[in-house]
Amino acid sequence: MSRRSFLRGATQVAAAGSMIGSSAADEMAASEAAGASEVEALRGASELEISVNGKLRTVEVEPRTTLLQALRTHMEPPLTGTKEVCGMGSCGACTVLIDGQPAYSCLTLAATCAGRPITTVEGFGSPDAMSDVQQAFCDKDGMMCGFCTPGFVVATHAALERAPEADLDELKYQLSGNLCRCGTYPHVFEAAQAVQEDRARGGEGR
Amino acid sequence: MSRSNHRPESSEPSWGKRSDLDVLNRDIPRVDGPVKATGQAVYTHDVRLPNMLWARLLIHPVPRAEIESIGLEAASEMPGVVHIEALKEPGDAVRYMGDDAVLAVVAAETPDQAADALRAIEVKAKRLAPVVTPEQALEEGAPVVSRRRNADSNVGRANERGDEALADAALAGAVAVVERSFEIPVQHHVCLETHGHVIQPAPDDEPVTVYASTQSVGGTPRGLARTLGRDASRIRVLTPHMGGGFGSKFGPGLEGALAARIANATGRPVHLMLTRSDEFAIAGNRSGSRQTLKVGAGSDGRLVGLKLQADKLGGVSGGSLPGPPYIYTVEDEAAVSSKIRSVHTATDGSRAMRAPGHPQASFAMEAAMDELAYLLGMDLVEMRIRNLESEVHHRQLRRVAEEIGWGEHPHRDRPGSAENGRAVGIGFGVSVWGPGGRSSRCDVTVRPDGSVVSATATQDLGTGARTYVAAIVAEELGLTVGMVEARIGDSDLPPSVTSGGSVTTGSSAPAIKDAAHKARESLEVLLEDVLEAPVGSYVWKDGQVSVRGDASRSLPWIAVCALLREPLVAQGEFREFLHEGRIHGAQAAKVEVDTLTGRVKVLKMVTCQDQGLPLNRLALRSQINGGMIQALSYGLLEQRVFDEQDGFLLSDNLDLYKIAGAQEIPEMVALIDDEDERPSVCGMAEAPVIPGHSAIAGAIHNACGARLTRMPFTADNVLETLYGKI
Repeated sequence: MSRRSFLRGATQVAAAGSMIGSSAADEMAASEAAGASEVEALRGASELEISVNGKLRTVEVEPRTTLLQALRTHMEPPLTGTKEVCGMGSCGACTVLIDGQPAYSCLTLAATCAGRPITTVEGFGSPDAMSDVQQAFCDKDGMMCGFCTPGFVVATHAALERAPEADLDELKYQLSGNLCRCGTYPHVFEAAQAVQEDRARGGEGR
Repeated sequence: MSRSNHRPESSEPSWGKRSDLDVLNRDIPRVDGPVKATGQAVYTHDVRLPNMLWARLLIHPVPRAEIESIGLEAASEMPGVVHIEALKEPGDAVRYMGDDAVLAVVAAETPDQAADALRAIEVKAKRLAPVVTPEQALEEGAPVVSRRRNADSNVGRANERGDEALADAALAGAVAVVERSFEIPVQHHVCLETHGHVIQPAPDDEPVTVYASTQSVGGTPRGLARTLGRDASRIRVLTPHMGGGFGSKFGPGLEGALAARIANATGRPVHLMLTRSDEFAIAGNRSGSRQTLKVGAGSDGRLVGLKLQADKLGGVSGGSLPGPPYIYTVEDEAAVSSKIRSVHTATDGSRAMRAPGHPQASFAMEAAMDELAYLLGMDLVEMRIRNLESEVHHRQLRRVAEEIGWGEHPHRDRPGSAENGRAVGIGFGVSVWGPGGRSSRCDVTVRPDGSVVSATATQDLGTGARTYVAAIVAEELGLTVGMVEARIGDSDLPPSVTSGGSVTTGSSAPAIKDAAHKARESLEVLLEDVLEAPVGSYVWKDGQVSVRGDASRSLPWIAVCALLREPLVAQGEFREFLHEGRIHGAQAAKVEVDTLTGRVKVLKMVTCQDQGLPLNRLALRSQINGGMIQALSYGLLEQRVFDEQDGFLLSDNLDLYKIAGAQEIPEMVALIDDEDERPSVCGMAEAPVIPGHSAIAGAIHNACGARLTRMPFTADNVLETLYGKI
């Protein structure tokens, strides 16, 4: 399937507003069947329902709108915890979970996210009720300027989900999709290891 | 509010004995950790105001051109476009890649609309010869791109010191002489938050609010006053959080001026943040350099003569490089000569970047120290110690040597060689910095309800400044850090310094201490009637105040504050004797070189760093690690690359401009030099970035005999150095 027809499918279905819970393949099949003019379908904004941090949010997007843009500038109120740094999948500052899997939201078209639960950094905890990973980032000083921190927090949650017993080398591999300029890496690794130890001792692992 | 009734005869503030400290000199988690870790911290990028416009810049793709026309018509009719203007007229020149290459600015209702309109601008321009390399700049008849008045070439004024003939004579008498030429590329700051502002205009009788990603909340109002057409006192700058500066964010820049202009013209809030590619093109860099360094030593290892010729490559700016000998000493100063000049290219001007010029100087000087040691058959650490005046450097070098396993290392006075294509080596480097301190103020407010606010117009670049703004007050008043609210990042607060050259701590911490001390003494005046002991005879600890030597006469903090009828405001200022001027550091790096593929893997890095009293050991280790990592990244990966034929900036994204990631990070040991018992505080962020890449180059040389004279230390560079050009 071409990228073009994929886009058309996704937006059409999203516009219909009925796709929460169905698979992407179903969405595309449905849109192909709809047979609307491709030119029309590729133009303009349409409403999309996405599930962010457990809440259904309606957001007006274009086919080209990335999930990152949808979160930061299209939603009202916006969710600005997720950061834009490189815009091309090099740095991981925009990392969110989609269907529980870490993804670069700058490389993900919003229209492909209908029916796929999204978790952003805000979804893991709040300053008064932080997740174990967020707490460990504070305790170990896994941040300096903090601009990469939301992406690292999400990536660390995902890494410890995928590889709960990862050794240091494996942790570095798991976190290699994220860049930090201040040089917080050693303390980020310490934070991840502190969470591992805590969870191994029976911590709740929020 | 009552002003502090501080008595002139009162005691002076003091940092106190280290063994008595309850808050400082410990690991203090940063007070803004929770908002940063949960995505709640609002950076300038994140500011959203009602009715806000989104602005974008159009930057010419090559550094030099003659503008024929800039067609705005189609773009101005695009949906959502509210403001569009060209910054160049037909016939104008684009003189360099940087702010001069900004052709137009657009503001629209949405970010996408601004980007669309940018693409619809029709630029016709004649591209001119690029002049992006020093070779192009120095060619006979090269176009003059220097911004110097009446410049007739691209060579800036040379800074010549010493007498070359005397240096030559001294070198002729040396037992060992090494001469090398070094090439150091331009490095970018790569702040993860790009430069920019959100500006909210206001009627004449109200302040304009500017959200700025800046290292200078205090200086930014002045920088925008003229463009905004109002006095700086009626511009309020807010920087609650900022995503890195490293020396590149001192003024509003062209992007700030344009945001101000659009806000004025439209009467609407404007969000203008550079894109990542804009950032690489116009937001500054660390200057490159080319250096030819000749150094000689006697049989005892002492340096006897030195000659340096260097070009600073700072684009249209001068670039920076301290004069030789860098840190090390040549006994006879007359035996040192140097010629340092700027060679200008049509590229973005260099800006301050974490220890400007120092890492470049370190790279050449540490290489010379290694090579002279090997020529003389001398231990690398011993060679350095013989040429360093400061005992602090001696103990720090011994400490990092011990930590990295130097004593057990098999080749300490000659390079090793590969076994089965694998070679392991260790290298060293030293640093100095003299940040000092300057005028800064702080207000500490204690309210009758027991709440405490410590306020100063500093900014936290990620250094942990916000945390010590609270922690210093907590220490003085016997409170926990959480009981003191730190207010920073607001130009309306008592003025403090621009955060550059590691001056923030040495300037603001004494003022905070002074304010806290005055608040404490004012409270002790009130206590004289209650606990019946004179000012100066109280112990403030664990949320209680008690009479020294009589713990039975005590009051809890909340009861002390209840004695206040109104909030107490104590005003502190910079106190010379509370700060320290000079710091030292030493680093060691251990690497593994794959001599078949040329790959360098850094195995371990160690730093020992002094800074007077450590305010926050946790943040300090973060800073030391950060310095080592940025130096590692500089050494192994970073390089700005222009296409020499047409002048396109090729490395304008994070795929092609590499910075260190998780997998490059070795074992890291950040040692705080606790033998430094100076009773004063000092910033230290510049120092640990200075020698790391030099120590890595030394370790590569020590591992396999390849002296890399070109950065970064990529595999092809290593192979070429080992086996010659293929």
